[in-house]
Amino acid sequence: MATKQEQELDEQTPYTDLVEHTPKINQQLARYGVKFGIYKDGTFNERLFPFDAIPRVIEASTWKSLEAGLIQRVRALNLYLADVYGDRQIIADGVVPEDFAFASSGYLPQCEGITPPGGIYSHISGIDLVEGQDGTWYVLEDNLRIPSGASYPLIARGLCRRCDAGTFRTTPIVDNRDYGTRLKAVMDSVNTGGANVILTPGRYNAAYFEHAYLSEKADAILAEPKELFVENETLFYRDAGRNLRVGALYRRLSDEYLDPLCFCADSLIGVPNLMSAYRAGNVAIINAPGNGAADDKGIYYFVPKMVKYYLGEEPILKNAPTYLPFYPDDMAYVQEHADTLVIKDVAEAGGYGVVFGSELEPEKLNDLKTLIRREPRRFIAQEVIDFKRLPTYIGGKLVPRKADLRAFVLSGAETTVWPSGLTRYSRVEGSAVVNSSQGGGFKDTWVLSR
Amino acid sequence: MRILTYSFETVLHMDSAVSEHDFVLRCQPMSTFAQTVLDAQTVITPQTTLSQQIDGFGNLLQIGRIESPHDVFSFVSTGMVVVDAADEHPELAHPIYKRPSAMTQPTAEMIAYARDVLRVIPNARPQAKAQALSHALHEKMSYTPGTTDVETAAADAFSQMSGVCQDYAHILIALLRAEGIPARYVNGLIVGEGATHAWVEFHDGVRWHGIDPTNDRAIDDTYIAISHGRDFTDCPIESGVFRGGARQEQLVSVIVGSEQ
Repeated sequence: MATKQEQELDEQTPYTDLVEHTPKINQQLARYGVKFGIYKDGTFNERLFPFDAIPRVIEASTWKSLEAGLIQRVRALNLYLADVYGDRQIIADGVVPEDFAFASSGYLPQCEGITPPGGIYSHISGIDLVEGQDGTWYVLEDNLRIPSGASYPLIARGLCRRCDAGTFRTTPIVDNRDYGTRLKAVMDSVNTGGANVILTPGRYNAAYFEHAYLSEKADAILAEPKELFVENETLFYRDAGRNLRVGALYRRLSDEYLDPLCFCADSLIGVPNLMSAYRAGNVAIINAPGNGAADDKGIYYFVPKMVKYYLGEEPILKNAPTYLPFYPDDMAYVQEHADTLVIKDVAEAGGYGVVFGSELEPEKLNDLKTLIRREPRRFIAQEVIDFKRLPTYIGGKLVPRKADLRAFVLSGAETTVWPSGLTRYSRVEGSAVVNSSQGGGFKDTWVLSR
Repeated sequence: MRILTYSFETVLHMDSAVSEHDFVLRCQPMSTFAQTVLDAQTVITPQTTLSQQIDGFGNLLQIGRIESPHDVFSFVSTGMVVVDAADEHPELAHPIYKRPSAMTQPTAEMIAYARDVLRVIPNARPQAKAQALSHALHEKMSYTPGTTDVETAAADAFSQMSGVCQDYAHILIALLRAEGIPARYVNGLIVGEGATHAWVEFHDGVRWHGIDPTNDRAIDDTYIAISHGRDFTDCPIESGVFRGGARQEQLVSVIVGSEQ
């Protein structure tokens, strides 16, 4: 029997044509190779990333404020990165404690003193947000390394448009097909003279389809590491017998594998001495290496403070209410309310991960509280946000599912937000875990123009 | 203050020819408060163009690429340095030198060991603590080449209580940082030693001081510093990647002399 909420959903949702076409759209996506790779129990699996045709719809006025908040946040994060790898003023002024700034595993001292072309560190930022039941939006996570996923809504939009042209004619949806153009503009704006190249680890990488798709849309060369080399502080692409200079490199390869002579010496992939070309200012690396210093769980707490510190503005977007046991007041609160909080271990390896206090046996909860008292810097705690459910078509009926939104902020000559985004929903009733690696699916995100 | 001349050569023999050889050398000393480089040269065989850069730790890099096949790669670094270990210019320590690094993660035993060594001088100045820890390590450890390799972490060398200068340095760094004293790893040369050496610098809140746990003594005017980092992995004297399978044999010779 349908619940009351499900009945309401059925009455509300007008996108029946789209829903009808969902199986066909998913077939098309599978043919494109829209897959998501996940590591589970040490083995690598690829699986389809199911698409739900009922979009997340964002009103024009809501989008306007989200857009302003996202631009503000990313500007502050870029300024923080320049500071943490430069003068460390925010640390000297006591806004971000040293223990958090340099404890982040994403902070790479190899990047000290390097100024990236255009002074931009995070060119493509994926900011994960959720909408609370009361309509307030909260940032849950900043992704400044290599946030992926823009291609999913891009492709799905095209397929939906073909299946149901009528809806797109009658609904004032902001066109999102310019992502490739925006990406190209970012690459051009920091290009130091040479070709634009997208570096993929190779076709066995889980996101290879996206790399190939974006290179086509942004008119950039798609290259594997072995097709690139560095000579005299300059990056080259081997192009059928001649060597082409590279001016901007959008790398879809994580920092540690980028250059075996600078980072992980065991890396068999990567481009030897790529960092020498970057250090010399002869190539822009998108996003800059070392950006992990600003998107770590422990640093997240300080982002609203960065907005005030660098921009002198009140933050437009909220963080989920977060407590740092490092501060005595927060410690007292966390000790008292641990059973209602979500507790995150900032330590990378062998840590607790993410734990909901409400799901722990009293004894385990006490152990965790003791550990937090012993190692206060290792943990952050957050209020659990009850976020809005979106109508989702699963198993032949409409059901409410929790969903987040990854917004893509692009920083080049100017900082803009792509008027779309990746909405990920949880397949499981009640679950707040929307990661694609946890079996979720995705939706298109419609931004309305009026 | 003293003037030292140095010459050190490294020869890598490959068992078959390699090509597309990209390398980074940190083989030339740089001028700092404690040493002034009067002259420095690097000669590479096979000959190639070298780019010079400074890395994030402040080391001089010489970067190159040898495209064509070769089965011997060598570099000779020579020069003249004025050393003055007693220089008192103040200098700040970057916060990274306070934190454990990949090769210097301390175990609970190491933390307890440092505390135990320093239990009679818990409030002593960093110099005294560093000397005490260096002395204790020197007494306890046996210098035994072959028991560790370049990838051995401080914790493993500590549990077996043997190793070479790299291990002594890593362990002392781990102990100093556990005591809240910033410390860093230094590669360099010493008068009278036929190989490159590694030691430690600790920061007393004002400036860096060198200490050599392998020989249990403070750095004096017989030492030339070449590169530094959080641990060995940040500042190898030579690193490279190339195409072609090859077993390497490495020969190093060092001569450091004093100009009278």
